[in-house]
Amino acid sequence: MDMLRFLGGRHPYPLGNQPGGRRGTTSSRIAWRRTLGLLLVGGFLQLAPLILADERTETVALVGATVHPVSGPSLEAGVILIEGETVKGIGVDLPVPAGYRSIDLGGKHIYPAFLHPGSVLGLAEVGSVRGSVDTNENGDLHPDLRAEVAFHADSRLLAPTRSGGVLHALVVPQGGLVAGTSALMRLDGWNWQEMTVRSPVGMHIHFPTFVASGRDSFRGPAKTQEEVDEERDQALDRLRDLFAAARAYGRAQKAQEETHGKSLLPPVVADAKLEALQPVLDGSIKVFLHARERQQIEAALKFVQKQEIEEAVLVTGADAADLAPRIAKLGIAVVLNGVLRLPDRSWQPYDSSFTAAARLYEELHKAGIPLAIGDGGERFSAANARNLPFHAAMAAAHGLPREAALRSITLGPARILGVDDRLGSLEVGKEASLLITDGDPLEITTTIEQVWLAGRALDLSEDPQRRLYERYRRRPLAQPEN
Amino acid sequence: MSRSCPWLHRACVSEAWVFGAWLSRPWVFGAYVFGACVLGAFATGAAADPEAWKSEIPEAPSSILVRGATIWTSGPRGLLENADMLVEDGKIRRIDLGLEAPKGAQVIEAQGLHLTPGLLDAHSHIAIDGSVNETSRTLSPEVRVLDVVDSEDVAIYRQLAGGTTVSNLLHGSANAIGGQNAVIKLRWGQLPEELIFEAAPPGIKFALGENPKKSNTRRPRPNHFPTTRQGIETQLRERFLAAAEYRRRWQEYRQGTSLPGTAIPGAPKPRTDLHLEALGEILDGVRKVHAHSYRADEILMLLNLAKDHGFRIATFQHVLEGYKVADEIAAHGAGASTFSDWWTFKFEVIDAIPYNASLMHQRGVLVSLNSDSAELGRRMNLEAAKAVRYGGMSPEDALKLVTLNPARQLGIDSRVGSLEVGKDADFVLWSGPPLSTRSLCLQTWIDGRSYFDRQRDAEDRRNWEAERQALIAKVRALDSADESGGS
Repeated sequence: MDMLRFLGGRHPYPLGNQPGGRRGTTSSRIAWRRTLGLLLVGGFLQLAPLILADERTETVALVGATVHPVSGPSLEAGVILIEGETVKGIGVDLPVPAGYRSIDLGGKHIYPAFLHPGSVLGLAEVGSVRGSVDTNENGDLHPDLRAEVAFHADSRLLAPTRSGGVLHALVVPQGGLVAGTSALMRLDGWNWQEMTVRSPVGMHIHFPTFVASGRDSFRGPAKTQEEVDEERDQALDRLRDLFAAARAYGRAQKAQEETHGKSLLPPVVADAKLEALQPVLDGSIKVFLHARERQQIEAALKFVQKQEIEEAVLVTGADAADLAPRIAKLGIAVVLNGVLRLPDRSWQPYDSSFTAAARLYEELHKAGIPLAIGDGGERFSAANARNLPFHAAMAAAHGLPREAALRSITLGPARILGVDDRLGSLEVGKEASLLITDGDPLEITTTIEQVWLAGRALDLSEDPQRRLYERYRRRPLAQPEN
Repeated sequence: MSRSCPWLHRACVSEAWVFGAWLSRPWVFGAYVFGACVLGAFATGAAADPEAWKSEIPEAPSSILVRGATIWTSGPRGLLENADMLVEDGKIRRIDLGLEAPKGAQVIEAQGLHLTPGLLDAHSHIAIDGSVNETSRTLSPEVRVLDVVDSEDVAIYRQLAGGTTVSNLLHGSANAIGGQNAVIKLRWGQLPEELIFEAAPPGIKFALGENPKKSNTRRPRPNHFPTTRQGIETQLRERFLAAAEYRRRWQEYRQGTSLPGTAIPGAPKPRTDLHLEALGEILDGVRKVHAHSYRADEILMLLNLAKDHGFRIATFQHVLEGYKVADEIAAHGAGASTFSDWWTFKFEVIDAIPYNASLMHQRGVLVSLNSDSAELGRRMNLEAAKAVRYGGMSPEDALKLVTLNPARQLGIDSRVGSLEVGKDADFVLWSGPPLSTRSLCLQTWIDGRSYFDRQRDAEDRRNWEAERQALIAKVRALDSADESGGS
């Protein structure tokens, strides 16, 4: 049976043939399994403590700036009251209560901080140095991998990312067919445990390629279409079998629980991979379907329907724009993974990657489905995660309404990641993570003057790139002979 | 030294090449996907004559008046509001306020629009047929991009659509000396030899650091030399000694110097060596060195090596630690062509900073920005905008990073790089300020000819779509005829 391949050996009995019955809920599962869960996949749905231990909470009023809350219209000469990590008040002519330190920001603009919908920040340091890269595990089926446990809290990439206004990122493992679970990370803190805002956010599935490129790649010589077809069919089979096994596993657990372990059947053998898929099956975490080309996307949509995935997110490219009505009809949220890209095919219009967001947005917006814009999310784009707003800006120049563009890197991803109750816009009760600028943050020439993360102004001079700049700016004039 | 005609060779080389290049044209490939059998017949008939696929050269109106634009001249006249530019016979004739349109002039009403010089990309790998590295030798100064310019690379059109008009086509960085460059004007639709920018002095690509020392190849290369920066230094030094020796022999031959140790006149004629010829041209100062480099140490190394051998480095390319030795680069007189903000993609660039362009500029280095990428190469204006963000360069100076400065580095600033009277009419019309992410490239002109027009592009798309649908219908009709006939 196929499943033996990923179970890594002989299984005591064929899970797929277990009697049916609805899958159990987390709370009703038997005790040993809970222990296993703690050991193997502990931290499911954990919400990390939000207060950094050594930060004194403060009450501050940001006064006089044009406030762009994203969730609503802009406020001229607005006031934002911040207590601790949280926005306590926002409005125009809001009286500043006693005890608040007032900061005058006349002429400035305030925006919510950007939220990156998919990156390997913290998992990859120097792209070409293998020892510094933890993005891709070997093997195909890794639902039990967790991104946050490899997140390098002191990565040199983080400070420049923060300076660019990106303060939270979904950190996503990259390898294989089922890559593992992502975690939403706050991009400043003392260690990954404290920086994890939510984990797991979603299970990441990469759909296999459908079309032979006809070109040699770094991975090897070009494959024929027949080879690609065969590999893809096998991969889709493995994916289907994995989900079937996970369902059977859940049913077996349930059955064992219902008979109070008195069944004559042998006990269910613990399996970390199948265990990790249970939150996917019971709908408690989302499924992120990575699919760029049209046929991949179609396969992903079919998968969502067949597997009855409750909350799916499509992480995709410009081809998705052609399938937008179907995606919208299925209610699937979309991460357009990169705008500043070449067209996927030589014959496509030069701006097909730039216009895709607008074409997608039209359909998604009608259906009330959020859109996020990413930057490709691969190893080499992590260092420039700070350029996320410029992907949105290019989409805006090519037909995406400007408010929608801003939303696609703030409230859009917050909704998709299920954290729009605390991130993505400036509203009472939400985290005070914001940017103070001298203009539109979608313009490259705009300066981000201050960055506030959870009610605290970050010291941007700590950015190592800034430090090198200041250091060499002060180098005494050298007069080499020549 | 006479050289064979690369174009002739290339045109004759194979029908497969012709078909492949032809296929890469967007509308052709699109149609191909849906109507392969129909087109196959066309291809067979046409493959013998590559010129059959040459586009019409865009017409050159005898005079063009761009009226009422905000003109970023990138020249001494700076920024001009509500100004006019007159083009005649492919050259800029006048830039002023309130110019009269000559009789029969094509008038472009540009009120509210912005006009800039065509953008230059000082480091590109587009339009090169096949690989950009000659990996069989560690040094390959004799190989030439000129021989493999692919005028049908769709990247050319895409760069035009972003306002780029000149690209410096360089070899890759696999070798310490990669080969000879080709500076092209993006005259889309013309033959390879028509793309070559005849005014550009010859150049050559050098590369230092991790790439030529093969640090990042998948398989270890135990027999490769060099594998250290020291090895690269000594390898280059040895080659320049050999080149100097080679030149001396030719000189002696030409002067009829006596044979060594004798009074017998007439030094023997040396054997022509293309490898050393190219290096000799560097020593003679006629071939410009464009050196891929990152770290301060290797930049200083090459400056010293050049000084020792009596030549000058034209540009350091990428030069991400250039800010650390900006004074030394400036004193040497070398230019620096850098990335706006790329860093940490490999170990030698962990100290790269986005302030590099601004800092080098502040210290007196002639700085440009380059793309090294078919994607970045179509938004060089937005790359320039990053110099405003990082280091506070003025917008006009920032635009020069992709106009006048690269033109000066490539030695073509008498022809392109700024909007000045007498220069080539290479210009771009933008919907707004060129450094704004809101602005779109509307029109791109080279030599007073329109090579990109956003409106025309939209019309082309509609026409191709109609053509595609017609082809699909035809194929379907054939299919259904086959089915009914075969049953």
